[in-house]
Amino acid sequence: MAFQILLNIAIAFIWMLLKNNFTGVEFAIGYIVGLLLLFVLRRFLNFDFYFRRVIAVFKLIVLFIYKLILANIDVIKIVLSPKLNIKPGIIAVPTKLKTEWEVTLLSCLISLTPGTLSMNFSEDGKTIYVHAIHVPDKNEAIKEIHNSFEKAILEVTK
Amino acid sequence: MLQTVTTIVLIMMSISIFICFIRVVKGPTMSDRVVALDTIGINLIGFIGILMIIQKTVAYSEVILVIAIIAFIGSIAFAKFIEGGVVLDRDRR
Amino acid sequence: MTEIVVSILILLGGAFSILGSIGIVRFPDVYGRLHAATKSATLGVICIIIGTFLYFLLVQELFIGKLLLTILFVFMTAPVVGFMVSKSAYNVGVKLWDQSIQDDLGKAIKKAEKKARQ
Repeated sequence: MAFQILLNIAIAFIWMLLKNNFTGVEFAIGYIVGLLLLFVLRRFLNFDFYFRRVIAVFKLIVLFIYKLILANIDVIKIVLSPKLNIKPGIIAVPTKLKTEWEVTLLSCLISLTPGTLSMNFSEDGKTIYVHAIHVPDKNEAIKEIHNSFEKAILEVTK
Repeated sequence: MLQTVTTIVLIMMSISIFICFIRVVKGPTMSDRVVALDTIGINLIGFIGILMIIQKTVAYSEVILVIAIIAFIGSIAFAKFIEGGVVLDRDRR
Repeated sequence: MTEIVVSILILLGGAFSILGSIGIVRFPDVYGRLHAATKSATLGVICIIIGTFLYFLLVQELFIGKLLLTILFVFMTAPVVGFMVSKSAYNVGVKLWDQSIQDDLGKAIKKAEKKARQ
């Protein structure tokens, strides 16, 4: 992974030297050329194409912004309704993620999305306790978190 | 046009800070007050951002960053203070 | 054109902020108020800062990186504040709203205490 990025930056520098033009725009063009070269040559070099991960990160960000806007519409609906017709509660969400920073990322994303707020972790870090503003069905809420964010994070770190 | 919009939004932010202030005064527990104070800090960032547009100056960009940092650290310190009464604990496990 | 985009962003930001504040007053317990504080207020401020950034970039032709840093910082710190405040409130013993339907964390803590006593 790191080796590939270094290779890519080196290609960008060579491109700048060839064009004899040392600006940021030229560097960006060289970087894209390097990406294309790596993409074409990925079969002969013995490693995985690293840009796949970048695309996965990009997908995660898009999913996150979409969920963030949905979350805010949700909260606004609750705030503006004349009667507070909500059923809040704390649910335990088990997670398959292994390393510490993956769990941290998941809890941060949970905090910023539809009616959920991560509150505490269990001792072994395998369970996140989530306060949800409206949980008519507990299992459905857990399933939604698993299907959206956990899947996207696994896609990035796989 | 931008002049009127910025003025309107400035008034909206002021009302928003005032509403948070009601919660600071009323709040039954300490945690309510911390939440409201944190929101006041976040709203102040937006307030100053609009002031930058009105006065057409970039001098306040550092101010925004510093207020963001101080509001964050203040909320964290308050949360730790509520929990244990110790803000900076030395003994690590 | 750019003025219209900037105006829409700023108005949206102001609306989100004011709704977040109303939420802080209206919700019944600390945890509900944190929902309003970490989501609506944060998104409102981010909208306003993006509007300011676009205004200076397109109208005054100045690139201010500090504003982008501010957006990143607010984005990163909002969940941390929500996490810390809710955790401390729960540990001190602030009650959930009386119409809450379940409390898995309370059960887990009770179970751990029972195990520690044995």
